[in-house]
Amino acid sequence: MSQQFGSNPYYQNNNTGGGYLTGSPYGGSPSSPGQKTRSAAAQSLRPVKAKQLAAATQAHADAEWKIEDVEVGQVTIVGHLVTIQPQTTNSVYWLDDGTGRVEARHWKGGDEDNDKWGDVSEGTFVRVTGTLKTFNGKRYINATHIRPVKEPMETYFHDLECVYVTHFFRHGPLGQGNEGASSTGTNMSNYTTQASTAHREEWAHLNPVQRAILEFMASVPDDNDEGVHVGAIARAVQGTAGVNDVSISTALDALMDDGRIYTTTDESHFRLS
Amino acid sequence: MAEHVSTRVNGKRLAEYVGRTVRLVCKVLQFKGDSALVETSDKMQVEVRLSKDARVTDTYVEVVGKVNDATTVTMMACINMGSDLDMELVDFTIETINDPRFLGSIF
Repeated sequence: MSQQFGSNPYYQNNNTGGGYLTGSPYGGSPSSPGQKTRSAAAQSLRPVKAKQLAAATQAHADAEWKIEDVEVGQVTIVGHLVTIQPQTTNSVYWLDDGTGRVEARHWKGGDEDNDKWGDVSEGTFVRVTGTLKTFNGKRYINATHIRPVKEPMETYFHDLECVYVTHFFRHGPLGQGNEGASSTGTNMSNYTTQASTAHREEWAHLNPVQRAILEFMASVPDDNDEGVHVGAIARAVQGTAGVNDVSISTALDALMDDGRIYTTTDESHFRLS
Repeated sequence: MAEHVSTRVNGKRLAEYVGRTVRLVCKVLQFKGDSALVETSDKMQVEVRLSKDARVTDTYVEVVGKVNDATTVTMMACINMGSDLDMELVDFTIETINDPRFLGSIF
């Protein structure tokens, strides 16, 4: 089906997702009203500290928020719930997470909503998830979710997670330099190296055999539905440390469990998901 | 915002925060009248002057308080943290918070 559509000039632009022709003079702006172009970051959830929310910047009232020049979508924060002020249309939760105070507002829905939101109490740690907003120059979190922190270590986990995520945005993924060096060290052609570059980060946590299998599978042309034979995989990853029949079969099983590859016509042909 | 900062600290960091508000994660060792002897995440003993309405029920607590000197803190609020807390990991977290790469920008 997709190949058939691919040959039709009217459908080609659908791959870019906007529904408007990239070649048209209006290509740069969204064609239909209300359909705001959203970046992937707008759909993301970032752990933050109150201080980062206080320091977040916004180019104009409708623009996305940025922390250290990185766009943020939804935010999640763990803080000491200082006060709850129930009001007619919304409840205000004052959170203190040690770096500052931030107000979380929850707009009331129905009665069931109040039951769901009633299990937090003052003087405990809670986790709030929502989006950052301003009203009259005051920043608050428009909360979509609030829950008590039942596992005390979650409070400290959140601090470390904020450090990790901020560090990630400042310096890139963990161990990126080392991974890159070791991958180019294997005897692959320029083409295979390029082909696997895009995947290398998400494969970084896999063991060397699994990674070698994925890199090989990404490097061969994916032009038949049958996929790659296990024999070809075994030959290709021979040079990797710790490879034997058992480790290849374990690695293939693990990759299938992860949903990264799947079997095709029989148990010995594999394709990348 | 600045008036509400209460950085998480351990015992040895207290000296850097005299006169300021901190969060001291600690284990309650014993009560002595209106104060309590606690052990910080880096295993130092600190005296906490309890506030009148303090409700210290758990073994581990996070004390929000003002640092009088390197070994005494006056409690403003207290959050009970249960009976089992990985103090080594808490101490690692506190040292990370106080790392100059993150203190000031994140914390």
